[in-house]
Amino acid sequence: MAFAAPPRLRRFASLEFVLGFLLLGGVVFCVVFSAWLFAPPGQISLSTRLLMPFQDAAHLFGTDALGRDVLARVAVGGWISLKVGFLSVMGSVVFGVVMGLVSGYYRGIWDMIVMRCADIQLALPFILLAITFVAILGGSLTNTITLLIVSQWVQYARLVRGSVLTLREREFILSARAIGVKNGAIILRHILPNLMGPVVVLMTLNVANNILLESSLTFLGLGIDPTIPSWGGMLAEGRTYLQTAWWISVFPGLAILCTVLGLNLLGDWLRDLLDPTGRTNR
Amino acid sequence: MSSMMSFKKITVSALGLLLVSGALASPVCADGRLTVSSPQDPGSWDPVDTFLINWASVGTNLFDGLTYRGPDMKLVPALATSWDVLDDGTRIRFKLRQGVTFHDGEPFDAEAVKFTFDRLLGEEGAKGPQQSNYTAIERVEVIDDNTVDFHLRAPDPVLLTKLAGYGAMIVPPQYIKEHGETYFNTHPVGTGPFQFVSYEPKVGIKLKAYQGFWGDGPKLSELDYRFISEPSTAVAELQSGGVDVVIPPTIPIAMIPTIEEDDNLDLVTTSGPTVYALRFNTAEGITADERVRKALIIAVDRRSIVDGILGGQAQVIASFQGERSFGFDPDMQPLPYDPDKAKQLLEEAGVSPGAQVQIDIRGNDATFTEVTQAISAYLSMVGITASIHPVETNTLLNDIIPQGKTGAMFQQSWGGWTFDFDNTAYAMYHSGQKWNPYDSDPKMDELLESQRSLTDPAERERILQQIAHYAADRALEMPLYSLNAIYGVNKRVKHFVPAPDNRMRLNDVEVE
Repeated sequence: MAFAAPPRLRRFASLEFVLGFLLLGGVVFCVVFSAWLFAPPGQISLSTRLLMPFQDAAHLFGTDALGRDVLARVAVGGWISLKVGFLSVMGSVVFGVVMGLVSGYYRGIWDMIVMRCADIQLALPFILLAITFVAILGGSLTNTITLLIVSQWVQYARLVRGSVLTLREREFILSARAIGVKNGAIILRHILPNLMGPVVVLMTLNVANNILLESSLTFLGLGIDPTIPSWGGMLAEGRTYLQTAWWISVFPGLAILCTVLGLNLLGDWLRDLLDPTGRTNR
Repeated sequence: MSSMMSFKKITVSALGLLLVSGALASPVCADGRLTVSSPQDPGSWDPVDTFLINWASVGTNLFDGLTYRGPDMKLVPALATSWDVLDDGTRIRFKLRQGVTFHDGEPFDAEAVKFTFDRLLGEEGAKGPQQSNYTAIERVEVIDDNTVDFHLRAPDPVLLTKLAGYGAMIVPPQYIKEHGETYFNTHPVGTGPFQFVSYEPKVGIKLKAYQGFWGDGPKLSELDYRFISEPSTAVAELQSGGVDVVIPPTIPIAMIPTIEEDDNLDLVTTSGPTVYALRFNTAEGITADERVRKALIIAVDRRSIVDGILGGQAQVIASFQGERSFGFDPDMQPLPYDPDKAKQLLEEAGVSPGAQVQIDIRGNDATFTEVTQAISAYLSMVGITASIHPVETNTLLNDIIPQGKTGAMFQQSWGGWTFDFDNTAYAMYHSGQKWNPYDSDPKMDELLESQRSLTDPAERERILQQIAHYAADRALEMPLYSLNAIYGVNKRVKHFVPAPDNRMRLNDVEVE
């Protein structure tokens, strides 16, 4: 190290953190302050359809098939996409990790119940589940997020349960139990930190996945009103225009790319930071 | 070494085959291969098994009906050379063409016609979707080898047209009896200009010229169809020369410039059977008021939508039918765009600005989703807030519409290859029909029923036009547009005439 930063600060001086923070932070900043930074997405105007990007200061990213400003739509559309991406992953992580910890640590009847529920869940195809959701609850943003949580918590539960099964037999857990540490404390202080690495990696992958799933759900009618912009929806809209008007799908695609890349870099950094064994530290 | 040998052998035998087939070729000079990209594989080539228009784009080349209707929409003789309508339209006598043989060598005669319709109206036909279109036929009677009588339960003015396609295609009795129904599904035999060579499910079907064809012989020696459902793949194949023709419904409006800009390709379009409308919930909500319905119609600039979003590949319609439909009135004009009058009508009807309407649309129809967004923008200019509700297509068609659970407006796309307004109007407007969950109007019912038994086409056309006017007066739907059938064609293909209904017969087509 060329400079002698205090250990606490040095954690933040990694390339992963700086890049990840800039990318994700930039996107989140633009989305959150879109109302002040950009012109509102504006009305449909058929006279200004499919304008090229970087030609007109009023439409820096061009306009879409209905004459709406792509830049403004990307900024505003981020709200829906980030909401769906983050909330659905947060929801399934919290639920899945708790279920996985309980079933892996306590075993017995809890393990039976949780894992059979997981099996049932995995036996249901996603599309079938989605259509059932439409039929019973109708389509809305909340329902979309709920559906994603219901269909994805199992991934986390199984991942966590697997790690817990090996961890609970390790010496440091056995010794903690031998000196009388309570179960809750063992789970929180000794087991949870040891399995957060893979969970964080899975999380970062799923955020991107869910942003795209939100748009494919519109095909099933579970999605949201197409007049409300979202990144996935814009990608789907722009698909048929790819050869004639690339900018409709490229800019929301770039936004997703930045978000996901930023998240992955931060995820890597976070995993290193959380790893209590310190093996992956450089 | 041995692989070399076998390669040589193959070449030699292939050469031999070529020589033999060249020697046997009839005077018709069939040459060249045409490759067509079709978006769907019907799975079975049996005429009674399908209603998919892309069955017809292949089937029209394999099979013949008693009558034929080409792209010019005129009904002409095919396997029947003439017919007489007798007994007030309840009996039709057909004189059959002589000297026609099926692709397997079997002769075509009156027994084949009787077999075809007994099969269609019997057990085998009951398994497929075609039977219901031909229920007017009570039985077919063989008079002699070249004459048949069709006995009808009631006159069916559209029957002669319906004999030109789909379920009424004449099939070979001996061949089916010998090989069985299942074999026939994947090894079709007919009397058409092309005969079956091979079929690979989900990949393609290959045909070759049938030298014994009774009409103008095919000018192509081979006709291949490839099933390509993804539009961008089909267009890329067209650009690279992998396929020569891309048939509807494949090419999305957004890709039209790609084809137009390519020097090797032609965009060929013709007005098709499919019409689009947003229909109203006439039973409840603000759209129960006729003035509100009219206001919503004139609040939307349908002309700009067609020119802008649909690239001009559609015609604005005044009633729920296209210009080729029997019952179309050329003097009937779409209501003009008039937002001021719309506001005034809404005020009269007591609808306050900010009123909500919900529009239910099919979730998988990308172009119509754009159209609906533009409509919602136009409605917002007269103070109506429209929310768009995309629904899974099957749920919309089989649950939400029939059960009357739609919003104030809902998408209806409709089109029948017979191009007869009765097919549309009866299903849309008659009380108690699956597609008409909201409206019940004795006058409309009477009009619809009155034309069904008429044998005089002129009188029937007059009543159908009257129905169209009456539906427009009551503003039962917001008629939007009739969409063109869009074909992408390589310039090396000559004499290609676009079929409005995908029933394209390719015996006149040549390739360079």
